[in-house]
Amino acid sequence: MTTIPTLATRTHAREAAQALAAELSKLLSLPATWLTLGGTLAVNLILATAFTIAGLQGSTGTKSALDIGLASISYAQAGFVILGVLAACSEYTGGQIRTTLTAMPRRALQLSAKHLALAIVVLPAAAITAASGVVLTAAALGDAAVPVTSGHVAAALSGVTAYLALTTLISAAVGALVRQTLAAVVILLGYFFIVGPLLRDHTPAAKYLPDSAGFAMWFPVADNASAVTPAQGALLLTAWTIVLIAVALLGYRRRDS
Amino acid sequence: MRTLAAEASKLASLPSVWIALAAGVLVPSVIAGITASATLGAITRGAKTLAGVDTGYQELAFGVVGVIILGVVGISSEYFTESAESGGGRQVTTSLTAVPSRLRFLLAKISTIAITSALLAITAAATTMGVVQVVLGERAPALGADDVPRLVGVVCYWVYTALLAFGITVLTRHGVIPLAVLIANTSVVTVTYLLTKITPLANYLPDMAGVRMFIRKLADNTVEISPLTGGLVMTAWVTVLLVIAAIAFTRRDA
Repeated sequence: MTTIPTLATRTHAREAAQALAAELSKLLSLPATWLTLGGTLAVNLILATAFTIAGLQGSTGTKSALDIGLASISYAQAGFVILGVLAACSEYTGGQIRTTLTAMPRRALQLSAKHLALAIVVLPAAAITAASGVVLTAAALGDAAVPVTSGHVAAALSGVTAYLALTTLISAAVGALVRQTLAAVVILLGYFFIVGPLLRDHTPAAKYLPDSAGFAMWFPVADNASAVTPAQGALLLTAWTIVLIAVALLGYRRRDS
Repeated sequence: MRTLAAEASKLASLPSVWIALAAGVLVPSVIAGITASATLGAITRGAKTLAGVDTGYQELAFGVVGVIILGVVGISSEYFTESAESGGGRQVTTSLTAVPSRLRFLLAKISTIAITSALLAITAAATTMGVVQVVLGERAPALGADDVPRLVGVVCYWVYTALLAFGITVLTRHGVIPLAVLIANTSVVTVTYLLTKITPLANYLPDMAGVRMFIRKLADNTVEISPLTGGLVMTAWVTVLLVIAAIAFTRRDA
Protein backbone atom coordinates (compact mmCIF):
# COMPACT_ATOMS: atom_id res chain seq x y z
CA MET A 1 0.00 0.00 0.00
CA THR A 2 1.41 3.35 -0.96
CA THR A 3 0.21 6.35 0.89
CA ILE A 4 -1.48 8.95 -1.21
CA PRO A 5 0.35 12.22 -0.75
CA THR A 6 -2.05 14.78 0.61
CA LEU A 7 -1.73 18.45 -0.27
CA ALA A 8 -0.58 20.34 2.76
CA THR A 9 -3.28 22.79 3.64
CA ARG A 10 -2.94 25.61 6.05
CA THR A 11 -5.41 27.98 7.51
CA HIS A 12 -5.41 31.65 6.53
CA ALA A 13 -4.29 32.62 10.01
CA ARG A 14 -1.33 30.28 9.79
CA GLU A 15 -0.43 31.57 6.33
CA ALA A 16 -0.52 35.15 7.61
CA ALA A 17 1.60 34.29 10.64
CA GLN A 18 4.17 32.54 8.47
CA ALA A 19 4.27 35.50 6.06
CA LEU A 20 4.86 37.86 8.96
CA ALA A 21 7.63 35.65 10.34
CA ALA A 22 9.26 35.51 6.91
CA GLU A 23 9.13 39.27 6.43
CA LEU A 24 10.49 39.89 9.94
CA SER A 25 13.33 37.47 9.28
CA LYS A 26 14.20 39.23 6.00
CA LEU A 27 14.08 42.69 7.56
CA LEU A 28 16.14 41.75 10.62
CA SER A 29 18.77 39.94 8.56
CA LEU A 30 19.51 42.95 6.34
CA PRO A 31 22.68 44.66 7.56
CA ALA A 32 21.28 47.86 6.04
CA THR A 33 18.43 47.82 8.61
CA TRP A 34 20.79 47.89 11.54
CA LEU A 35 23.22 50.31 9.90
CA THR A 36 20.40 52.74 9.13
CA LEU A 37 18.87 52.53 12.60
CA GLY A 38 22.25 52.83 14.32
CA GLY A 39 23.34 55.67 12.07
CA THR A 40 20.09 57.52 12.65
CA LEU A 41 20.47 57.22 16.43
CA ALA A 42 24.06 58.48 16.24
CA VAL A 43 23.16 61.43 13.99
CA ASN A 44 20.22 62.27 16.24
CA LEU A 45 22.46 62.34 19.32
CA ILE A 46 25.03 64.55 17.56
CA LEU A 47 22.32 66.99 16.43
CA ALA A 48 20.69 66.95 19.88
CA THR A 49 24.08 67.84 21.37
CA ALA A 50 24.36 70.74 18.92
CA PHE A 51 20.85 71.96 19.75
CA THR A 52 21.59 71.66 23.49
CA ILE A 53 24.73 73.77 23.16
CA ALA A 54 22.73 76.34 21.21
CA GLY A 55 20.06 76.17 23.95
CA LEU A 56 22.62 76.78 26.68
CA GLN A 57 23.80 79.85 24.77
CA GLY A 58 20.21 81.00 24.67
CA SER A 59 19.84 81.21 20.89
CA THR A 60 16.96 78.72 20.57
CA GLY A 61 14.46 80.99 22.26
CA THR A 62 13.26 78.19 24.55
CA LYS A 63 14.68 76.48 27.60
CA SER A 64 12.39 73.47 27.52
CA ALA A 65 14.36 70.21 27.43
CA LEU A 66 11.47 68.65 25.52
CA ASP A 67 11.40 71.21 22.68
CA ILE A 68 15.19 71.31 22.32
CA GLY A 69 15.56 67.53 22.59
CA LEU A 70 12.98 66.88 19.89
CA ALA A 71 14.23 69.57 17.47
CA SER A 72 16.71 67.12 15.94
CA ILE A 73 13.91 64.72 14.95
CA SER A 74 12.98 66.79 11.91
CA TYR A 75 16.43 65.92 10.51
CA ALA A 76 16.70 62.41 11.95
CA GLN A 77 13.47 61.42 10.19
CA ALA A 78 15.62 61.10 7.03
CA GLY A 79 16.97 57.86 8.50
CA PHE A 80 13.48 56.45 8.95
CA VAL A 81 12.54 57.43 5.40
CA ILE A 82 15.60 55.55 4.14
CA LEU A 83 14.73 52.50 6.25
CA GLY A 84 11.22 52.34 4.79
CA VAL A 85 12.53 52.68 1.24
CA LEU A 86 15.23 50.05 1.78
CA ALA A 87 12.73 47.57 3.21
CA ALA A 88 10.58 47.84 0.09
CA CYS A 89 13.25 48.31 -2.60
CA SER A 90 15.75 45.68 -1.41
CA GLU A 91 13.37 43.13 -2.96
CA TYR A 92 14.18 44.52 -6.38
CA THR A 93 17.98 44.38 -6.24
CA GLY A 94 19.22 41.02 -7.42
CA GLY A 95 15.89 39.30 -7.91
CA GLN A 96 14.89 38.61 -4.29
CA ILE A 97 11.34 39.44 -5.35
CA ARG A 98 11.03 36.21 -7.38
CA THR A 99 11.96 34.07 -4.38
CA THR A 100 9.61 36.07 -2.19
CA LEU A 101 6.63 35.68 -4.51
CA THR A 102 7.33 32.01 -5.15
CA ALA A 103 7.16 31.41 -1.41
CA MET A 104 4.24 33.79 -0.83
CA PRO A 105 2.16 33.97 -4.01
CA ARG A 106 -0.59 36.03 -2.43
CA ARG A 107 0.79 39.47 -3.07
CA ALA A 108 -1.54 41.56 -0.95
CA LEU A 109 -0.83 39.34 2.05
CA GLN A 110 2.91 39.50 1.43
CA LEU A 111 3.07 43.30 1.16
CA SER A 112 0.78 43.79 4.16
CA ALA A 113 3.01 41.43 6.16
CA LYS A 114 6.02 43.50 5.08
CA HIS A 115 4.44 46.71 6.34
CA LEU A 116 3.42 45.04 9.61
CA ALA A 117 6.92 43.64 10.12
CA LEU A 118 8.36 47.07 9.43
CA ALA A 119 6.02 48.65 11.99
CA ILE A 120 7.07 46.06 14.59
CA VAL A 121 10.76 46.87 14.02
CA VAL A 122 10.35 50.63 13.75
CA LEU A 123 8.15 51.37 16.77
CA PRO A 124 10.78 50.54 19.43
CA ALA A 125 13.53 52.12 17.32
CA ALA A 126 11.53 55.33 16.94
CA ALA A 127 10.75 55.44 20.66
CA ILE A 128 14.45 54.99 21.52
CA THR A 129 15.54 57.66 19.01
CA ALA A 130 12.92 60.14 20.24
CA ALA A 131 13.71 59.55 23.90
CA SER A 132 17.49 59.68 23.37
CA GLY A 133 17.49 63.33 22.36
CA VAL A 134 15.20 64.40 25.21
CA VAL A 135 17.18 62.47 27.85
CA LEU A 136 20.47 63.92 26.57
CA THR A 137 19.10 67.47 26.58
CA ALA A 138 17.48 67.11 30.00
CA ALA A 139 20.73 65.78 31.47
CA ALA A 140 22.80 68.55 29.91
CA LEU A 141 20.46 71.38 30.79
CA GLY A 142 19.98 70.16 34.38
CA ASP A 143 18.38 72.81 36.52
CA ALA A 144 18.46 75.36 33.71
CA ALA A 145 15.64 73.55 31.94
CA VAL A 146 12.10 74.80 32.17
CA PRO A 147 10.13 72.15 34.09
CA VAL A 148 7.56 70.20 32.05
CA THR A 149 4.93 67.81 33.33
CA SER A 150 5.46 64.11 32.77
CA GLY A 151 2.11 63.89 30.99
CA HIS A 152 3.30 66.48 28.48
CA VAL A 153 6.54 64.55 27.91
CA ALA A 154 4.65 61.27 27.42
CA ALA A 155 2.26 62.88 24.93
CA ALA A 156 5.06 64.43 22.90
CA LEU A 157 7.18 61.28 22.90
CA SER A 158 4.31 59.04 21.82
CA GLY A 159 3.44 61.60 19.13
CA VAL A 160 7.00 61.55 17.77
CA THR A 161 7.14 57.75 17.90
CA ALA A 162 3.85 57.40 16.01
CA TYR A 163 4.95 60.09 13.51
CA LEU A 164 8.25 58.35 12.75
CA ALA A 165 6.60 54.92 12.45
CA LEU A 166 3.88 56.20 10.09
CA THR A 167 6.47 58.10 8.03
CA THR A 168 8.47 54.88 7.67
CA LEU A 169 5.34 53.03 6.47
CA ILE A 170 4.58 55.81 3.97
CA SER A 171 8.17 55.56 2.71
CA ALA A 172 7.84 51.78 2.32
CA ALA A 173 4.60 52.23 0.35
CA VAL A 174 6.23 54.79 -1.95
CA GLY A 175 9.26 52.51 -2.25
CA ALA A 176 7.00 49.61 -3.29
CA LEU A 177 5.47 51.83 -5.97
CA VAL A 178 8.73 53.33 -7.29
CA ARG A 179 10.85 50.13 -6.84
CA GLN A 180 14.17 51.97 -7.19
CA THR A 181 16.00 52.93 -4.03
CA LEU A 182 17.64 56.10 -5.30
CA ALA A 183 14.56 57.46 -7.03
CA ALA A 184 12.33 56.76 -4.01
CA VAL A 185 14.83 58.38 -1.64
CA VAL A 186 15.06 61.47 -3.85
CA ILE A 187 11.27 61.82 -4.12
CA LEU A 188 10.65 61.36 -0.40
CA LEU A 189 13.52 63.47 0.92
CA GLY A 190 12.81 66.17 -1.65
CA TYR A 191 9.25 66.25 -0.38
CA PHE A 192 10.03 66.12 3.35
CA PHE A 193 12.92 68.57 3.31
CA ILE A 194 12.34 71.00 0.45
CA VAL A 195 8.85 70.98 -1.06
CA GLY A 196 6.93 70.28 2.18
CA PRO A 197 8.46 73.05 4.32
CA LEU A 198 8.15 75.59 1.49
CA LEU A 199 4.50 74.73 0.82
CA ARG A 200 3.83 74.97 4.57
CA ASP A 201 5.04 78.57 4.54
CA HIS A 202 3.05 79.68 1.52
CA THR A 203 -0.20 77.73 1.20
CA PRO A 204 -2.73 77.25 4.01
CA ALA A 205 -4.01 73.94 2.59
CA ALA A 206 -0.55 72.41 3.09
CA LYS A 207 -1.35 71.79 6.75
CA TYR A 208 -3.35 68.73 5.69
CA LEU A 209 -0.40 67.16 3.85
CA PRO A 210 1.32 64.22 5.57
CA ASP A 211 4.41 66.06 6.77
CA SER A 212 2.67 69.08 8.25
CA ALA A 213 -0.18 67.01 9.73
CA GLY A 214 2.42 64.72 11.27
CA PHE A 215 4.39 67.64 12.67
CA ALA A 216 1.23 68.81 14.44
CA MET A 217 1.37 65.57 16.44
CA TRP A 218 4.40 66.74 18.38
CA PHE A 219 5.76 70.08 17.19
CA PRO A 220 4.58 73.17 19.08
CA VAL A 221 2.46 75.07 16.54
CA ALA A 222 1.19 78.60 16.68
CA ASP A 223 -2.03 78.97 18.65
CA ASN A 224 -4.75 79.80 16.21
CA ALA A 225 -8.18 78.40 15.64
CA SER A 226 -7.49 76.86 12.26
CA ALA A 227 -4.36 74.96 13.35
CA VAL A 228 -4.44 71.16 13.24
CA THR A 229 -4.59 69.66 16.76
CA PRO A 230 -2.33 66.71 17.65
CA ALA A 231 -5.28 64.29 17.52
CA GLN A 232 -6.43 65.57 14.12
CA GLY A 233 -2.84 65.42 12.91
CA ALA A 234 -2.56 61.79 13.99
CA LEU A 235 -5.83 60.95 12.21
CA LEU A 236 -4.75 62.74 9.03
CA LEU A 237 -1.35 61.06 8.94
CA THR A 238 -2.92 57.64 9.60
CA ALA A 239 -5.36 58.26 6.75
CA TRP A 240 -2.50 59.24 4.40
CA THR A 241 -0.59 56.10 5.40
CA ILE A 242 -3.59 53.81 4.81
CA VAL A 243 -4.33 55.40 1.44
CA LEU A 244 -0.72 55.12 0.28
CA ILE A 245 -0.41 51.51 1.43
CA ALA A 246 -3.70 50.72 -0.37
CA VAL A 247 -2.38 52.30 -3.58
CA ALA A 248 0.86 50.34 -3.20
CA LEU A 249 -1.11 47.11 -2.68
CA LEU A 250 -3.23 47.76 -5.76
CA GLY A 251 -0.19 48.55 -7.89
CA TYR A 252 1.64 45.52 -6.54
CA ARG A 253 -1.23 43.15 -7.40
CA ARG A 254 -1.75 44.49 -10.90
CA ARG A 255 1.79 45.10 -12.15
CA ASP A 256 4.43 42.61 -13.23
CA SER A 257 7.12 42.40 -10.64
CA MET B 1 38.09 64.33 -25.85
CA ARG B 2 36.65 60.92 -26.70
CA THR B 3 36.62 60.10 -22.99
CA LEU B 4 34.62 63.28 -22.42
CA ALA B 5 32.17 62.33 -25.16
CA ALA B 6 31.81 58.85 -23.65
CA GLU B 7 31.07 60.28 -20.23
CA ALA B 8 28.56 62.73 -21.66
CA SER B 9 26.83 59.90 -23.50
CA LYS B 10 26.67 57.77 -20.33
CA LEU B 11 25.32 60.68 -18.32
CA ALA B 12 22.65 61.53 -20.88
CA SER B 13 21.43 57.93 -20.95
CA LEU B 14 20.55 57.88 -17.24
CA PRO B 15 16.86 58.57 -16.52
CA SER B 16 17.71 60.00 -13.08
CA VAL B 17 19.90 62.61 -14.73
CA TRP B 18 16.89 63.90 -16.66
CA ILE B 19 14.90 63.98 -13.42
CA ALA B 20 17.78 65.93 -11.87
CA LEU B 21 17.76 68.44 -14.73
CA ALA B 22 13.98 68.88 -14.46
CA ALA B 23 14.22 69.32 -10.67
CA GLY B 24 17.03 71.84 -11.08
CA VAL B 25 14.95 74.08 -13.33
CA LEU B 26 11.47 73.50 -11.85
CA VAL B 27 12.23 73.71 -8.10
CA PRO B 28 13.67 77.25 -8.07
CA SER B 29 11.33 78.69 -10.72
CA VAL B 30 8.11 77.28 -9.23
CA ILE B 31 9.08 78.35 -5.71
CA ALA B 32 10.08 81.77 -7.05
CA GLY B 33 6.66 82.03 -8.69
CA ILE B 34 4.88 81.21 -5.42
CA THR B 35 6.99 83.57 -3.28
CA ALA B 36 6.88 86.34 -5.85
CA SER B 37 3.08 86.26 -6.01
CA ALA B 38 2.96 86.26 -2.18
CA THR B 39 5.28 89.29 -2.19
CA LEU B 40 3.12 90.99 -4.82
CA GLY B 41 0.09 90.43 -2.58
CA ALA B 42 1.95 91.96 0.36
CA ILE B 43 2.97 94.98 -1.73
CA THR B 44 -0.56 95.65 -3.03
CA ARG B 45 -1.92 95.33 0.52
CA GLY B 46 0.69 97.87 1.55
CA ALA B 47 2.40 95.56 4.02
CA LYS B 48 5.65 95.85 2.10
CA THR B 49 6.97 98.45 -0.28
CA LEU B 50 9.69 96.64 -2.19
CA ALA B 51 10.66 93.10 -3.06
CA GLY B 52 13.76 91.97 -1.13
CA VAL B 53 17.25 92.26 -2.56
CA ASP B 54 17.53 88.46 -2.60
CA THR B 55 14.32 87.80 -4.57
CA GLY B 56 15.07 84.97 -6.96
CA TYR B 57 18.51 84.29 -5.51
CA GLN B 58 17.03 82.79 -2.37
CA GLU B 59 15.12 80.29 -4.51
CA LEU B 60 18.18 79.50 -6.61
CA ALA B 61 19.89 78.41 -3.39
CA PHE B 62 17.26 75.63 -3.08
CA GLY B 63 17.60 74.64 -6.72
CA VAL B 64 20.97 72.98 -6.05
CA VAL B 65 18.99 69.82 -5.29
CA GLY B 66 19.13 69.22 -9.05
CA VAL B 67 22.91 69.30 -9.24
CA ILE B 68 23.20 67.28 -6.03
CA ILE B 69 21.31 64.44 -7.74
CA LEU B 70 23.43 64.96 -10.86
CA GLY B 71 26.72 64.73 -8.97
CA VAL B 72 25.67 61.72 -6.93
CA VAL B 73 24.09 59.72 -9.75
CA GLY B 74 26.95 60.53 -12.12
CA ILE B 75 29.28 58.28 -10.12
CA SER B 76 26.97 56.02 -8.08
CA SER B 77 25.53 54.61 -11.33
CA GLU B 78 29.00 53.25 -12.10
CA TYR B 79 28.88 51.12 -8.97
CA PHE B 80 25.29 49.87 -9.37
CA THR B 81 25.39 46.06 -9.49
CA GLU B 82 23.25 44.50 -12.19
CA SER B 83 21.04 41.59 -11.21
CA ALA B 84 22.54 38.09 -11.26
CA GLU B 85 20.81 37.04 -14.47
CA SER B 86 22.36 39.89 -16.43
CA GLY B 87 25.78 38.91 -15.21
CA GLY B 88 26.01 40.79 -11.93
CA GLY B 89 28.33 43.30 -13.57
CA ARG B 90 29.06 46.89 -12.76
CA GLN B 91 29.51 49.74 -15.20
CA VAL B 92 32.79 50.77 -13.61
CA THR B 93 34.63 47.62 -14.78
CA THR B 94 33.61 48.34 -18.37
CA SER B 95 34.49 52.03 -18.04
CA LEU B 96 37.94 51.29 -16.67
CA THR B 97 38.57 48.68 -19.36
CA ALA B 98 37.84 51.33 -21.97
CA VAL B 99 39.77 54.08 -20.17
CA PRO B 100 42.51 52.38 -18.14
CA SER B 101 43.98 55.61 -16.79
CA ARG B 102 41.94 56.21 -13.67
CA LEU B 103 42.95 59.82 -13.37
CA ARG B 104 41.88 60.52 -16.94
CA PHE B 105 38.58 58.75 -16.31
CA LEU B 106 37.93 60.78 -13.17
CA LEU B 107 38.92 64.06 -14.86
CA ALA B 108 36.54 63.33 -17.73
CA LYS B 109 33.75 62.61 -15.25
CA ILE B 110 34.46 65.79 -13.27
CA SER B 111 34.51 67.88 -16.46
CA THR B 112 31.25 66.37 -17.73
CA ILE B 113 29.47 66.99 -14.45
CA ALA B 114 30.88 70.51 -14.12
CA ILE B 115 29.83 71.46 -17.67
CA THR B 116 26.35 69.94 -17.27
CA SER B 117 25.79 71.69 -13.92
CA ALA B 118 26.99 75.01 -15.34
CA LEU B 119 24.53 74.72 -18.24
CA LEU B 120 21.78 73.69 -15.82
CA ALA B 121 22.58 76.62 -13.52
CA ILE B 122 22.44 79.11 -16.39
CA THR B 123 19.09 77.72 -17.56
CA ALA B 124 17.68 77.68 -14.02
CA ALA B 125 18.89 81.21 -13.24
CA ALA B 126 17.40 82.55 -16.47
CA THR B 127 14.07 80.79 -15.86
CA THR B 128 13.86 81.84 -12.20
CA MET B 129 14.74 85.47 -12.86
CA GLY B 130 12.31 85.45 -15.78
CA VAL B 131 9.51 84.16 -13.53
CA VAL B 132 10.29 86.83 -10.93
CA GLN B 133 10.23 89.59 -13.56
CA VAL B 134 6.97 88.34 -15.08
CA VAL B 135 5.14 87.90 -11.76
CA LEU B 136 6.33 91.07 -10.06
CA GLY B 137 6.32 93.21 -13.20
CA GLU B 138 7.59 96.71 -12.53
CA ARG B 139 7.92 95.99 -8.82
CA ALA B 140 10.64 93.43 -9.43
CA PRO B 141 14.14 94.41 -8.36
CA ALA B 142 15.80 95.76 -11.51
CA LEU B 143 18.42 93.52 -13.04
CA GLY B 144 21.52 95.59 -13.64
CA ALA B 145 25.28 95.37 -13.87
CA ASP B 146 25.37 94.41 -10.16
CA ASP B 147 23.61 91.17 -10.92
CA VAL B 148 26.25 89.87 -13.32
CA PRO B 149 28.76 88.88 -10.59
CA ARG B 150 25.90 87.51 -8.46
CA LEU B 151 24.61 85.32 -11.29
CA VAL B 152 28.16 84.13 -11.95
CA GLY B 153 28.21 83.31 -8.23
CA VAL B 154 25.05 81.23 -8.64
CA VAL B 155 26.65 79.23 -11.44
CA CYS B 156 29.84 78.73 -9.39
CA TYR B 157 27.80 77.63 -6.37
CA TRP B 158 25.85 75.06 -8.39
CA VAL B 159 28.99 73.65 -10.07
CA TYR B 160 30.82 73.41 -6.75
CA THR B 161 27.85 71.74 -5.06
CA ALA B 162 27.67 69.16 -7.85
CA LEU B 163 31.39 68.48 -7.44
CA LEU B 164 31.03 68.17 -3.66
CA ALA B 165 28.25 65.62 -4.11
CA PHE B 166 30.40 63.85 -6.71
CA GLY B 167 33.48 63.77 -4.47
CA ILE B 168 31.58 62.39 -1.49
CA THR B 169 29.98 59.68 -3.63
CA VAL B 170 33.35 58.62 -5.09
CA LEU B 171 34.32 57.86 -1.50
CA THR B 172 31.07 56.16 -0.41
CA ARG B 173 30.41 54.41 -3.76
CA HIS B 174 26.71 54.36 -2.97
CA GLY B 175 24.24 57.13 -3.60
CA VAL B 176 21.78 56.92 -0.72
CA ILE B 177 23.86 58.38 2.11
CA PRO B 178 25.29 61.41 0.23
CA LEU B 179 21.84 62.11 -1.19
CA ALA B 180 20.21 61.95 2.23
CA VAL B 181 22.82 64.14 3.90
CA LEU B 182 22.96 66.73 1.13
CA ILE B 183 19.20 66.97 0.50
CA ALA B 184 18.50 67.21 4.23
CA ASN B 185 21.02 70.03 4.29
CA THR B 186 19.23 71.90 1.49
CA SER B 187 16.10 72.24 3.64
CA VAL B 188 14.75 75.64 4.64
CA VAL B 189 16.73 75.66 7.88
CA THR B 190 19.96 73.89 7.02
CA VAL B 191 22.03 71.91 9.50
CA THR B 192 25.07 74.02 8.70
CA TYR B 193 23.05 77.17 9.42
CA LEU B 194 22.15 75.74 12.84
CA LEU B 195 25.84 75.05 13.44
CA THR B 196 26.60 78.75 12.92
CA LYS B 197 24.49 79.33 16.04
CA ILE B 198 27.03 77.31 18.02
CA THR B 199 30.29 78.42 16.48
CA PRO B 200 31.02 81.23 14.03
CA LEU B 201 33.52 78.88 12.37
CA ALA B 202 30.57 77.06 10.78
CA ASN B 203 30.21 80.08 8.50
CA TYR B 204 33.22 78.71 6.66
CA LEU B 205 31.59 75.36 5.87
CA PRO B 206 31.32 74.94 2.08
CA ASP B 207 27.62 75.73 1.64
CA MET B 208 27.48 78.60 4.14
CA ALA B 209 30.54 80.22 2.56
CA GLY B 210 29.36 79.46 -0.97
CA VAL B 211 25.97 81.16 -0.72
CA ARG B 212 27.75 84.42 0.10
CA MET B 213 28.66 84.58 -3.56
CA PHE B 214 25.10 85.64 -4.38
CA ILE B 215 23.01 86.02 -1.20
CA ARG B 216 23.36 89.48 0.31
CA LYS B 217 21.29 89.20 3.49
CA LEU B 218 21.42 86.02 5.60
CA ALA B 219 18.78 86.03 8.33
CA ASP B 220 20.13 86.46 11.88
CA ASN B 221 23.73 86.35 10.82
CA THR B 222 26.26 88.97 11.78
CA VAL B 223 29.41 87.44 10.33
CA GLU B 224 30.43 89.32 7.20
CA ILE B 225 32.12 87.35 4.44
CA SER B 226 32.67 89.04 1.10
CA PRO B 227 31.43 87.22 -2.03
CA LEU B 228 35.00 86.69 -3.21
CA THR B 229 36.16 85.22 0.12
CA GLY B 230 33.09 82.97 0.19
CA GLY B 231 33.88 81.73 -3.30
CA LEU B 232 37.52 81.09 -2.44
CA VAL B 233 36.58 79.20 0.73
CA MET B 234 34.21 76.96 -1.21
CA THR B 235 36.85 76.47 -3.95
CA ALA B 236 39.28 75.30 -1.29
CA TRP B 237 36.76 72.79 0.13
CA VAL B 238 35.96 71.39 -3.31
CA THR B 239 39.63 71.14 -4.31
CA VAL B 240 40.58 69.29 -1.12
CA LEU B 241 37.64 66.90 -1.43
CA LEU B 242 38.34 66.15 -5.10
CA VAL B 243 42.04 65.52 -4.38
CA ILE B 244 41.08 63.06 -1.62
CA ALA B 245 38.56 61.43 -3.95
CA ALA B 246 41.17 61.16 -6.73
CA ILE B 247 43.73 59.57 -4.39
CA ALA B 248 41.13 57.09 -3.10
CA PHE B 249 39.90 56.32 -6.60
CA THR B 250 43.36 55.68 -8.05
CA ARG B 251 44.55 53.55 -5.14
CA ARG B 252 41.49 51.45 -4.24
CA ASP B 253 40.27 48.39 -6.09
CA ALA B 254 37.45 49.47 -8.36
